[in-house]
Amino acid sequence: MQSTGIPERNRLTQSLLGGKVQVGLWQLYKILKKNEDLKARRHPMFEKNRFMKFLAWFLIIYYAAILLLMGVMMPTAMKGAYNGVAAFHVLDGGLIYFILTDFWLRFVLQETPAQQAKPYSLLPIRRSFLMNVYLAHAGFSLGNMFWAFFLVPFGAIAIWPLMGFWAFLSWLIGWWLLFIANGYAYLFVRALCMKHIAWALLPAAIHAGLLALMFVPEKNLLDMPCTEFMYAFAKIQLWPYLVAFALITFFYLINFWLQTKMVYNEVAQKEEVEMKHTTQMNFLNRYGAMGEYLKMEIKLRMRNKQVRMGFIIALCAMLFFSAMLYFTDVYDGTFMKSFICLYDYVLLGVMTLPTIMCYEGNYIDGLMSRRQSIYDLLRAKFYFNSISILIPLLFILPLVFIDKISLWMNLGYLFFTAGVLYPCFFQMAVYNKDTLPLNQKITAKQANTMQQIVTLVAMFLPILIEKIAILILGNPGGYFALIAMGLVGLATHKIWLRNIYTRMMQRRYVNMEGFRATRNF
Amino acid sequence: MQIQINNLKKCFGEKVAVNIDSYTIHSGEMLGLVGNNGAGKSTLFRLMLDLIKADNGDVHMAGNFQETDVDVNVAETEQWKDWTGAYIDESFLIDYLTPDEYFQFIARISGISSDDLKTFLDRFSHFMADEVIGQKKLIRNLSAGNKQKVGIIAAMLLRPQVLILDEPFNFLDPSSQSAIKHLLTKYNQETGATILISSHNLQHTVDICPRIALLEHGIIIRDIDNRDGQAQTELEDYFQITD
Repeated sequence: MQSTGIPERNRLTQSLLGGKVQVGLWQLYKILKKNEDLKARRHPMFEKNRFMKFLAWFLIIYYAAILLLMGVMMPTAMKGAYNGVAAFHVLDGGLIYFILTDFWLRFVLQETPAQQAKPYSLLPIRRSFLMNVYLAHAGFSLGNMFWAFFLVPFGAIAIWPLMGFWAFLSWLIGWWLLFIANGYAYLFVRALCMKHIAWALLPAAIHAGLLALMFVPEKNLLDMPCTEFMYAFAKIQLWPYLVAFALITFFYLINFWLQTKMVYNEVAQKEEVEMKHTTQMNFLNRYGAMGEYLKMEIKLRMRNKQVRMGFIIALCAMLFFSAMLYFTDVYDGTFMKSFICLYDYVLLGVMTLPTIMCYEGNYIDGLMSRRQSIYDLLRAKFYFNSISILIPLLFILPLVFIDKISLWMNLGYLFFTAGVLYPCFFQMAVYNKDTLPLNQKITAKQANTMQQIVTLVAMFLPILIEKIAILILGNPGGYFALIAMGLVGLATHKIWLRNIYTRMMQRRYVNMEGFRATRNF
Repeated sequence: MQIQINNLKKCFGEKVAVNIDSYTIHSGEMLGLVGNNGAGKSTLFRLMLDLIKADNGDVHMAGNFQETDVDVNVAETEQWKDWTGAYIDESFLIDYLTPDEYFQFIARISGISSDDLKTFLDRFSHFMADEVIGQKKLIRNLSAGNKQKVGIIAAMLLRPQVLILDEPFNFLDPSSQSAIKHLLTKYNQETGATILISSHNLQHTVDICPRIALLEHGIIIRDIDNRDGQAQTELEDYFQITD
C-alpha cells in the first residue's frame, strides 16, 4: 500500500473507481470476503439456514468423532498385520483409496462455491484476481482438512514416537497438499461436467486405470510407490513436496483457464439464441390445462441447464449403481441392495423436489395472478414425478430377473417413493421461498442447508422404515406394508396436494417476498 | 368492474409505500397513475393484485361477471383472477417458453380455444411487428421491448374486465408505444374494461387516460380529471418540467 496520506476509505474508493491510487490485493480480498459474508447474512433464508447449519455441524461432528476413533484404533490394529511393516506404511500404501474416496465424496458433500463474477464484472477489478480469490478459497477450504480427524491421531500414534514430531508434521502436510490437489481436480471435473455430463467419464476412466494397476497384476503396482512417496514426506525430503506442488499448480492453472472461460461466457450469456426446433408435445393437449402444466414441467427440465443437469446426473447415478449391482458382487449385502433399490427410485425426486417451487420463484408473480395455477402446477409436478419413476423401474427390473433384488422390495420402494416420500418432499412447497436460477450453472447458487438435510433424510429414513416393517411383519409382509402405504398416498394425492396448496396460499406473502428478494441474489 | 380501495396502507420498515384512505376507480374507467420513483405506483398495483400483504385496509372489486353480481376482497378469494389481467415485470413471464408456447399456455389454462387465440393474436400483429410470434426464440432471449410486448399481450389474452399494466411504454420503440396506446384505448372502448396503467411518460398517460392519479410518498395527492386533456399543464407544473 502506498503511503499517500489519503484516508484509507478514500484510497479504496479511488481504486475501485479507477483512480490512480491502487488498493492492496489483501484489502481487496477482504472487501470481497466481506461482501460474501454480507450476502450470506442478508439472505432471506439465513435464519432457517442457521438452524439447519447447526444440524449439519452436528453430523460433521458425528463423522469427525468416528474418524477420530478410527485414527486412534487403527495404528494398533495395523501394527504387525503385514509382517511387521509399520502401521503408517500400510496406511500410506492405501493412498489411492483415500484419494478416490475423497474425490467422489466431494460430489455429494462439497458445496461448490458459486462464482461471484457478475457484480464485479464492470468494476475495475481484474478478472484474474476474482478467479484467484475463488480458487484460493477452494484451496484453503476446511473441507480439505476433514481427513485430519483421522490422520492426526493416526500419525501421532504411528509416526511421532518412531520418527519424531517434525516427521509427523511433514507427513500430515503431505496428505493435506494431496487433498488440496484432489480438491482442485474435483473442481475442474465438476466444471467440465457442467459443460457436459459425459466428462464424468474422464475421472472415472483415470480412477479405473489406477484401480486396474492395483488389482489386475499379480502384485499391486501402486502400493510401494505410494508408501515410498508418503514416507519421503515423513523423512522431510524435498521431492515429494515438489511433486505435490506441481500437482496443485497444474490443477490450479487448468481450473483458472477453464473456469474463467466458462464464467465469462455465462455472464455474457453467450448462448445459442435461436432454437433448432421446438417440441409441441401435442399428445398432452387432450389433458387440457393439466396437459399444459405437464408440458411446462417437461420444458423446465429440457431447456434450463441447472435443472437438466440434475436430471442427467440422477440418470447416470441410477445407471451406475444398478450396473454395479448387476455386474459385480461388491454391493451384494442386504443393506446395500436396499439402499441401491431405494436410491434408484428416490434419486429423480431428490434432485428436484426438495427445491420444489424454487425455480418457479423466477415467475411466481405470473403464476399467482392466475387462479388455482399453483394447485394445478403441484398436481402436474406430482404426475410428472410419478410417471418418471418408471425410469428407475427399467433399471431395476433386470436386477429382479437375476434375483439380486426381490420383486416385493422393488414394488415396495416404488410405491413407497411415489406415495409416501413424494408427499413428504412436496411439503417443501409450503416453506421454500428461495428462488434458484434456471439457466446458470457456474454462477448459480446451491440448494440451501434445509433442502440438503431433507435430501439426506430421504436417502436413509425409508431404509429404517423398511427394516422396522420387515422386523414386525416379516418378508414379504414388510414390503406389502410399504406398498399399502404408497397406495394410500397415491389414492389420496388430490387431498394432500390441496392441503399443501391451502397452506402455501396462507404463507403466500412471506414466500413471494422471499422469492422476489432472492431472484437475483 | 369497479375497484374500491379502503384504508390501504403498506410500509417497508419506516418508509410508507402506500397510504390511501379511500379511492374508487369506476367500472370502465381508464386510470393513469403517475409519480416519481418510490411514489408507490408498483406497490399499489401489487397490493391490488394480492402479490404483497397490506398492513391495513383492503381492495375490493365489484361488478357483473358472467351475469352474476360480484363483490370480492382480493386478499380473501381468487375469484377476481378470472376477470383480471396484469403485467408488472418479467416475473410474470415463463422465460423458457417461446412466446407462441407462452400464449398457448395462458390460452389453454384459461379455456381459450386455438382458433380464438389465433384471432386474438392477429389483432396484435402490427404491435408485434413479426418479431415475437414464430421466432423459435425463448422469451429469455428476446429483447426487453419484445418481452414487454409478450407480457402485455398475455395480460390481455383473457379479455379481462380489469387490466393492470405497470410502465407499459417502457422499452418499446416509438411505433410500438403508439400502437399500444391505440390498442388500449380501443380495448377500453370495445369491452368497457377498467384499465389501470402507471407510467413516467406524461404525454402518453395524458393522451389516453381520462383520469389521472398523482401519487407522492404513497398518497394520492391529486385526482385529475383529464377528459379534455387539461392534466398536461398540471402534471408538468408538478414535475417541474417547464420553467
